Amino acid sequence: MLLARRNLFRDRTRFLLSVLGVAVSIGLIVLLAGYRSGIYRQASAYLDNTPGTIVVAERGIRDFLGTSSVLPPNAVKAVAGTPGVARVIPVVSQFVIFERHGRKDGFFLIGYDTAAGGGPWKLAQGREPAVDDELVIDRTTAQQHEIAIGDQIRLLDREVTVVGLSDETTFWAGSIAFARISTLESLLRAPGLRSFLIVIPTAGTSPDALRETLSIRGAEVLLKNDVIANDRKLLARVYDAPIGLMVAIAFVVGVLVVGLVIYTATIERRREYGAIKAIGARNRTLYRVVTTQAFIAAVAGAVVGIGLAYGAGAGLMAWRPQFRVEIEPVAVGVVLAASLVMALLAALVPARAVAGLEPAEVFRG
Amino acid sequence: MSAAGLLARRNLTRNRVRFIVSVGGAALALSLTLALDAIYAGVANQLTTYIDRSGADVWVAQAGVRNLHMVASWLPDSATGKVRAVTGVADSMPILYSTDTIVAREERAVAYVIGLPIDARMGGPWNVVEGSNRVARGEIIVDRGFAKKADVSIGDTVTVLGGEARIVGLSAGTASLINSVAFVSFDDFRAMRSGAPVVSFVLVKVAQAASPEAVAAAIERQVPDVTVQTAADFSSQERRLVTDMSADVISIMSAIGFVVGLAVVALTVYVATLARRREFGVLKALGARDRVLYRVVLAQAVLSMALGFAIGLAFTWLLGLLVARTDLDLELAITVASVVKVGLFAAVIAGLAAILPIRQVAGLDPAVVFRRGVAA
Repeated sequence: MLLARRNLFRDRTRFLLSVLGVAVSIGLIVLLAGYRSGIYRQASAYLDNTPGTIVVAERGIRDFLGTSSVLPPNAVKAVAGTPGVARVIPVVSQFVIFERHGRKDGFFLIGYDTAAGGGPWKLAQGREPAVDDELVIDRTTAQQHEIAIGDQIRLLDREVTVVGLSDETTFWAGSIAFARISTLESLLRAPGLRSFLIVIPTAGTSPDALRETLSIRGAEVLLKNDVIANDRKLLARVYDAPIGLMVAIAFVVGVLVVGLVIYTATIERRREYGAIKAIGARNRTLYRVVTTQAFIAAVAGAVVGIGLAYGAGAGLMAWRPQFRVEIEPVAVGVVLAASLVMALLAALVPARAVAGLEPAEVFRG
Repeated sequence: MSAAGLLARRNLTRNRVRFIVSVGGAALALSLTLALDAIYAGVANQLTTYIDRSGADVWVAQAGVRNLHMVASWLPDSATGKVRAVTGVADSMPILYSTDTIVAREERAVAYVIGLPIDARMGGPWNVVEGSNRVARGEIIVDRGFAKKADVSIGDTVTVLGGEARIVGLSAGTASLINSVAFVSFDDFRAMRSGAPVVSFVLVKVAQAASPEAVAAAIERQVPDVTVQTAADFSSQERRLVTDMSADVISIMSAIGFVVGLAVVALTVYVATLARRREFGVLKALGARDRVLYRVVLAQAVLSMALGFAIGLAFTWLLGLLVARTDLDLELAITVASVVKVGLFAAVIAGLAAILPIRQVAGLDPAVVFRRGVAA
């Protein structure tokens, strides 16, 4: 195996290039995987941070983000009166587009009752909305659009005042904004509108048991965790195809780069390999040399690549705070395994070149 | 072809594996950007389908509403009559609109649900492949792709807006990556939404001699609290939704594609140059000037990139054809702007990729050719 190491390290530039090639590919894959987990994490931010274990939605609706749910008028009363219910958080939600400085952005607008809860969980500045037409928006969004507390922004057909800035409320297609329920009722010309109810069971009542008890005509009673999972599925439909495509391309590029480097390194040492063959070495030994080279390059590349991904992720979040990159240990493990597969695939090509080598080659010019 | 070009081609193509890797790597890296651009352009196309095919010249919405996707627009019922009274309006008709989940058997999907008056002259399904193109109370028209996935057909029941409706028609061309379009009766929609006297949009056909822009401006002047746009403006606002919201993602992915492409092409050209050190040494010993050698190296990089670009483009186009044959409802649209952008990318990559090998050649000692045992 000394031979493998020597082959690799003799030309330092080439070794660095091969490691860099793998590192870029691995880094790209880890970063994309982290970006995807970040999207998912952001998507469930509201439900994750709002108390309660059960969500009541319009019949047929099982997600929180994708659709405009409308509950039957009697739902709040019916749920609140059910034994085992400790607290009900009524929510009106609506996706709205707003435009400022010529750029469109999305608000996932949450109407909530300040007494019942369901508002911003991490207020960075200012206060919660106290009267109608007051709004709490995400701090990053505010920075991007140069909005400060006290500013008026246009929301559909009215001007609203920003009274607070919240953290942890950006997500894939904009950010979460909070207003009083009555503001949404009048914006949407729908008095009494409730989109969802988030239910907190009494101590000692299991969510599953309460879910069985709760039965409201025209409404769907769901476990909060199931709603979160459904939101992820909804996102996966939109995001997984492009991200999967890019991960596949990065993988192939990684294999190509490692293969190319090992191949070149091997071809250039043909005479030496021929000599080893001439003194009686079997093909198996040569395969081992080539495979070891590939492994060293791949492992070194993977380590650098993971570091690169962490660095790039941190850089990205600093540059564009609305992006969240969550690099998960599982993803890193999968990528490490992938890099080993890469190395094996990449070693196949040069191995063939070595196997076909004539021992006599060494004696030629 | 010039001598430098010939030499570059020979250097590149003599080693077939290396050549394939170089061009393939460039192609893949460029496809990364091309495919992503195409996906977003395709999504933008799909997003505007309903607006483009509605048959309306002008859209009247709640003040401040300039988009359709996932938004809410609610106008008082009286707006329809006020719009009709404006000079230049030949026909006007209200629709109700909401983004909802429709459910049939185990299949659930996000849909634009449109509430259509029974005598709808605009805004209805434009390509009904089976059944009726009109919806009465208790009826629904759904996209045929949704019906196929759910394994339902005409006569079956769909859960929509918290109630139920029977399928009376299947329409084509009404599905996108994100959602499909379903049509229910105006009265059902209103009843399911607590019966409030509101409409979402008023669709307008303008009189023959009138221009949509002028009529739109007139409506906005005469009807209070509305935002009025021509169908073309509405459609371009909707496209901007995609471009504005995906701009950052696209630039990040493009940057990554750029770096990967650069790494692959720089590496292959570098290795190809390294392997031909002796030949370059011979040329130098024979009196070739560095400039000529640089040109050879640069030509190698440019050739790899140009071929990679062509293949990447073909690959993305093929991918689009393949995706269109799947159930994915994903459309890949390759735009001229994207091709130009990626072409520029490729040119910059070729230039940068040549720097490292050029340094290698510049430092080459002509005497290298006289030594034995140097890597060949």
